[in-house]
Amino acid sequence: MPALLTLCTILVPWLGAVAIWMLGDKRQKTVGPVAVTFSVLAALAALCLYPFATAGVVVSIPMGDAFGSLSFRPDGLAALLTVIATVIGSLAVIFSLDYMKGEHQLPRYYSFILLFIGAMAGLVLSSSLLYLFFFWEITALSSYALISFNNDDPKAVRGGIKALIMTQVGGAGLLAGALALFSATGSFEIDQVLANPVAIPAGLLAFAAFGFLVAAAAKSAQFPFQTWLPDAMEAPTPISALIHAATMVNAGVYLLARFYPAFAEVPGWKTAVIAVGVITAFSAALMAIVAGDIKRVLAYSTVSQLGYMVYAIGLGAVEAAQFHLLSHAIFKALLFLSAGAVIHSVGTRDIFRMGGLGKRMPFTRLAFVIGSLALAGIPVLNGFWSKELILEAGMETGPAWGYILMLAGAGLTALYTLRVTWLVFYGKPREDLHVHPAGKAMKTALLPLVIGSIFSWLLVAFVTRVSANTMPYHHMEAMDITTLVQEVIMNPGTLIALAVILAGAGTWLVSQRVRFFEKSLGWAVHSIQASFGMESINDAITRLAGFAGEKLRITQTGLISWNLLYVVIALILACIYLAVGA
Amino acid sequence: MIIEPRLVITMAVICLVGIGIYGLLITRNLIKVIVALQILVKGAILALVLAAELQGQIQLGQSMALTLIVADTIVAVVGLALGLQVRRRVGSLDLRDLSKLKG
Amino acid sequence: MPLKHFSTLLILPLAFSPVIYLFGRVAGSLEKKNTGPNISRWLLMGVISGGLYALVRLYPVSMAGEKVRATWGTVSFQFDGISLVLIGSTLILGLLSTLYSGRYLAGETGEEKYYALFSILIGSIICLVSAADLFTLWLCFEIMAVSTYTLVAFHRQNAAALEAGVKYLVQSALGSVLVILGIALVFGERGSLALDTLKASGAQTSGLLAAGGLILIGFGIKAAIVPLHTWLPDAHSQAPSGMSAMLSGVVIAAGLTAMLRALSALGVPASVWGCAFLTLGAINMLVGNLLALRQVEVKRMLAYSSISHIGYLLTGLGFALYLGVINGAEGAFFHLMTHAIMKGLAFLAAGAFLFVLLPHDGSHGPLKIKDLQGAAGKYPLAALTFSIALLALGGLPPLAGFMSKWVIFTAGFIAKDGWMTAAAIFMALNSVLSLAYYAPVINRLYQRESSDLVKAGSKIPASLNIPLVILAISTLLIGLYPAILQPIYQLAGKNLLALFF
Repeated sequence: MPALLTLCTILVPWLGAVAIWMLGDKRQKTVGPVAVTFSVLAALAALCLYPFATAGVVVSIPMGDAFGSLSFRPDGLAALLTVIATVIGSLAVIFSLDYMKGEHQLPRYYSFILLFIGAMAGLVLSSSLLYLFFFWEITALSSYALISFNNDDPKAVRGGIKALIMTQVGGAGLLAGALALFSATGSFEIDQVLANPVAIPAGLLAFAAFGFLVAAAAKSAQFPFQTWLPDAMEAPTPISALIHAATMVNAGVYLLARFYPAFAEVPGWKTAVIAVGVITAFSAALMAIVAGDIKRVLAYSTVSQLGYMVYAIGLGAVEAAQFHLLSHAIFKALLFLSAGAVIHSVGTRDIFRMGGLGKRMPFTRLAFVIGSLALAGIPVLNGFWSKELILEAGMETGPAWGYILMLAGAGLTALYTLRVTWLVFYGKPREDLHVHPAGKAMKTALLPLVIGSIFSWLLVAFVTRVSANTMPYHHMEAMDITTLVQEVIMNPGTLIALAVILAGAGTWLVSQRVRFFEKSLGWAVHSIQASFGMESINDAITRLAGFAGEKLRITQTGLISWNLLYVVIALILACIYLAVGA
Repeated sequence: MIIEPRLVITMAVICLVGIGIYGLLITRNLIKVIVALQILVKGAILALVLAAELQGQIQLGQSMALTLIVADTIVAVVGLALGLQVRRRVGSLDLRDLSKLKG
Repeated sequence: MPLKHFSTLLILPLAFSPVIYLFGRVAGSLEKKNTGPNISRWLLMGVISGGLYALVRLYPVSMAGEKVRATWGTVSFQFDGISLVLIGSTLILGLLSTLYSGRYLAGETGEEKYYALFSILIGSIICLVSAADLFTLWLCFEIMAVSTYTLVAFHRQNAAALEAGVKYLVQSALGSVLVILGIALVFGERGSLALDTLKASGAQTSGLLAAGGLILIGFGIKAAIVPLHTWLPDAHSQAPSGMSAMLSGVVIAAGLTAMLRALSALGVPASVWGCAFLTLGAINMLVGNLLALRQVEVKRMLAYSSISHIGYLLTGLGFALYLGVINGAEGAFFHLMTHAIMKGLAFLAAGAFLFVLLPHDGSHGPLKIKDLQGAAGKYPLAALTFSIALLALGGLPPLAGFMSKWVIFTAGFIAKDGWMTAAAIFMALNSVLSLAYYAPVINRLYQRESSDLVKAGSKIPASLNIPLVILAISTLLIGLYPAILQPIYQLAGKNLLALFF
């Protein structure tokens, strides 16, 4: 049973992708409902799979000597992420029915979404390093295709290619680490590594550990790779919600969580992870405060929250990271989809041109506000519980500088969240805006997310129990509701955190003049908006490659005498090499 | 003083190959390029015959040499045919006019 | 029995080429204008199919480890795993290319000659990769080279094609001469040219080292090793597209194979070649990718990309020779096959666009990337297959390029040697770099706004589409289930290591 369901979560969406591509442009009207059907079926398969989660490998197909086996292992973490991917995936597809109505080349859109959903499921369910990489790359491909979906917009194409290149560079880290582990253990199976990490030579293990960290940082848009995610916001908003908030960017966190037991003892690794998480979380929060594009605010917010998850893993609190991953996926998807409803209605992404939309889009405002409260960490929404767990772990086991910065980050989170909510939905409505309320499909997609944001933390007992039972190497403990409530409420850290959050919110209310921060912090704002100089590094690298290519073209002179001269020179060099080297 | 035949042949090989390569590099005329190539090949053929003689297998060397002469005559013919077409289309046999494809 | 099939394989294409020409010429002068070339084409496809049949019959024999030898007087041939890989790629790509060239070259003068020369090309490659002594190796190499000279310059009304042909001829001829000098040195040192005898002869001498250098450079020109590659962008972009596919897919690989066979006989320790290949491979990858980044013409970009793929092959071979890691050789031969399929597909698809978008009278400039804007709307199949080829070349799953590059990567890590690991990571980064020029083409294809050329373009004929579909499906299948080709490339890898160690 688990084997069949596992394969369904991957193959059903892929079958749908092929079917939709075949349907082609002639039957565009049916493409949307077909996509919804396939994605909902996949979600059902994932939901049925979750109770059957098991620690063992359920599917294993040998693929040849250099390729190991195509094997899947639906344990707690994997099954949870599969549920997130497929359920939020189907909600994004349902939302797209309204959002993308009337667009061109829709089969390509739905095809790639379904390809992505299947690949994401495959990535987390995979128990072979090769196939983890295989699905990892396919998600990168789908992400590129969907970001640059609107090929006629050069910004979208640039954003797509940038995302592709940066995540692929990180992918090289995953490749190197996976093969290093393969050379040590002789097998691609992940369990081989987790079961006995001490059997692997320390140098190779450290190489793999840091290689994976690079890959995870690139995929999850952590420092120093965070520049691709804001540019990826050129994608249609349901894509931003699905790929760049709820699923693909979680792949990096997943990778770190999955391999934590093997890498925890590598000297310096945990500190590096914590450092990456803290730097990212704090700097991204700063960037969110000064951003003027609603999707950029949410993008930076995603990066920041992922930093919290990475931080949690560095501390060893993998359960807290997993819990926050679940909460974040739900409330961030909610925020993005609500933002999508706003963008679709108003036609712009600039928050300074919005205002007072709440009156004419009440449902959307409610959804967005719920999402914001969860993001800021206000009790009793799901974000509160998971963020508190992380902060407590930080207070108890982590370095002090990390805890303080993360605490401050929580305050900044509240600040930017309140800022964007206020600027978009409250205040005086503008007469020049044409506003219409969200369509039916959009509301259908938003409702489950609203409910989830309020209530998902109640599932903590079920989720942690499944994880503890099915992940033997991670030594996780089940936690039930009363424990959770006690731990969080009773902990003094919670009060400190709440105080900081309210301080953050208060800062905004006090300095309510629009563009306060931009005006007063001047140069700091410019630096922040340019991602603290990371953008210019990116730019420099791209231009260097182009420059090198352009200069090399001079060698291709077109004159045959030069070509022949190269041959003679090469001959001389070859003879010298052979004389010396042999 | 008797001069070793083998030494003479070796010098001949070196001269031919040298002239051929030098010609290839500095000439600007397509026909001269093909001529230089031919000189080069003759030097190589001579080298092969010399090697065969050193090993005492002159028969094999001679048959290889004949095959090589045929082969490189074909190359010369093809080259000259292309040269003819170039003369018709481009109007000149100067190599500098044949450098439109670059970069 | 296997001998009969092997002999057929060796003799059939070469022997039939004058038949192909004569039938086509006679039919052309007696009947309607079109019949001549059609007859030639069908004859050629028949010949290739015959060759495929013989190959299929030889396959189980070689899998069982038996070596098939054919000898006529002093000329001898031997069929092993390496031959299997190259001959298989040549025949399959040749068949699809011939089918494709039917409409592509329709109406051109001298079309029967094209098919006859194509037959010679295929026959010479078959003999080249099975040669068992150095002189036969050289001779078949020369025949292959000569047949390609006129095939590259086939569009002789086009000055650019002539220029490309001339440059190619001169450089390639220089390469052949260097090889002859090398062979002369070997003969002078050892007294025999049979590869088996040479291998058993013992250690190197300085004469053999010099011969090695000459052979490396001489064959290296044909194998497009930097800095000897300068003929390639011109030749591969100006040739008719069916021929470009063959050139990029098989001919340069045949040059590489010839080099390997010749170098193995010299008695030089394999690690010397391994080190050289790793360095040259790294340079090839970087130079090929950087130069491809700045190209605006489609076929020229694909040609530079071939240079970088030779770099991947050299890296794989370098891994195998440097430390004896068999995965490197296996990966290299696997990549040879997948590259033939992917690059073949890319050139054929680009050619299909060229065929429908640009006028056929040779007056057109080259097809530029911006001319492809919005092509997916009007030509969905060609655009899809072209995108599949480009993504596969960039090494993205679930396509073939990912799997073949993976095998080479495993080789780099298995030996746990610092330099090899660094080379593997360099290769991975180059693979990422290549996406920077493949991806924008795909984006352009799928734009909504079409270029003027696309708007005015005609329909792509079925005989151009069929090879595209077949190659695209193969790319997908191999990417999903690489074990299909595993026995073949594993045998080839084993044979390569046996040659050198």
